[in-house]
Amino acid sequence: MLKVKTGDLDRMGLLFERHYKPLFGFLYRMSADKENSKDMAQNVFLRMLKYRHTYKGDGEFKTWMYHLARNVLNDYYKSKSKQSDGELKDNLLSEDTIQVNIEKNEQVQLLNSALNKLNEEHREILILSRYQELDYKEIGSILNITEANVRVKIYRAMTQLKSVFHKLAD
Amino acid sequence: MENILDYINGELSAEEKLQFEKKLNEDAMFRMVYEEELTLWNMLGSIESPSIDTAKAKNRFLQTLDVYKEASVQVKGVSFIQKLKALWSFQLKLSYALAFLVAGLGIGLIFSNKNKLSGDQEIAQLTSEVSEMKQVMMLSLIENPSATERIRAVNMTSEIKNVDDKVIDALLTTLNNDANDNVRLMTLEALIELAHNAKVREGLVKSIVKQTSPLMQTAMADAMLKLQEKDSIKPLKKILKQENLNSTVKGKVEDTIQKILI
Repeated sequence: MLKVKTGDLDRMGLLFERHYKPLFGFLYRMSADKENSKDMAQNVFLRMLKYRHTYKGDGEFKTWMYHLARNVLNDYYKSKSKQSDGELKDNLLSEDTIQVNIEKNEQVQLLNSALNKLNEEHREILILSRYQELDYKEIGSILNITEANVRVKIYRAMTQLKSVFHKLAD
Repeated sequence: MENILDYINGELSAEEKLQFEKKLNEDAMFRMVYEEELTLWNMLGSIESPSIDTAKAKNRFLQTLDVYKEASVQVKGVSFIQKLKALWSFQLKLSYALAFLVAGLGIGLIFSNKNKLSGDQEIAQLTSEVSEMKQVMMLSLIENPSATERIRAVNMTSEIKNVDDKVIDALLTTLNNDANDNVRLMTLEALIELAHNAKVREGLVKSIVKQTSPLMQTAMADAMLKLQEKDSIKPLKKILKQENLNSTVKGKVEDTIQKILI
């Protein structure tokens, strides 16, 4: 990214190759909207170009990328603006998700539903921790909170997930 | 129980880890809770996101990157020449204009005792006359054969206090007919600043279908989104019907329409 910052824009292709998939995964899990997640991922890479001067190089590139991704997600939420608590409604689940759910066993399907029913804050911290291969330090940096706070929030999110999951299972 | 996930995630210190494992071995109840949590965590990991065509996505991005690179190179080139010329030519002309004005006012003050103006009035009059002169200069420069000069004319718009219909017409004509992408791009930016004027908004909407370069089509879409101009939906949809429309532009315009409609 530092090379991109100094003007070697062709390096963006390499960054795209490396980070597109996990970035799409994050956006998709946060929005449950496949088509918009593809657009949002493109948008994040465009913002990298536009705001490359703000990349200081002292932090992890991934952290910076998720900062941009969260901003793009915020714009997406604003444009949707119907989900007051950040919970994903069932009708937002794409056909692909439903297909995946059918193929999975019932437990996993229920857990996915439970995850989508969490509020945005809880869902986000679980997604960052479980799927994006980020450690607590990186998550703290993305969310602007301390590592200790990350621990507490993950614990609370998991407790909430278990509670919703068990309710759905009953 | 709080640290079960920290253990699973490898976030415990060596000492905490030892204590945790000791408890795990000694406390059957704790071990049960741990296993339940681990099962759930693993199950969570097995929820997959849909498959995507990364190569297709990369191609789409590289196309956008090309447009971006082209635009930034052109703008950079123009601004460099512009800066050089502006340093010499513009300041020189402005100095002459100001010198004539000051001389004129001085002569006026000497020979006319009847029309004595207060200090504030003088400054106001001077400012207004400078602004008028800039307008005249702008209208003359915008027809200059050099693209750099035309861009300079466009940039002068921000220095004109009361932009009238003549200036707006000149800008809209440039936006629709200028052969140079950069001139049209700068003109669009200047017009966005004047978007409070109904004539400007109407002119911008009408200009959408007249733009043929991907750079300008993208910029027009951005402008409409910024202005939240609902009247632009129809012309934007017209762009989508164009044959051989750049795929990046297509995506951009579709996205813009959707966002304006919300």
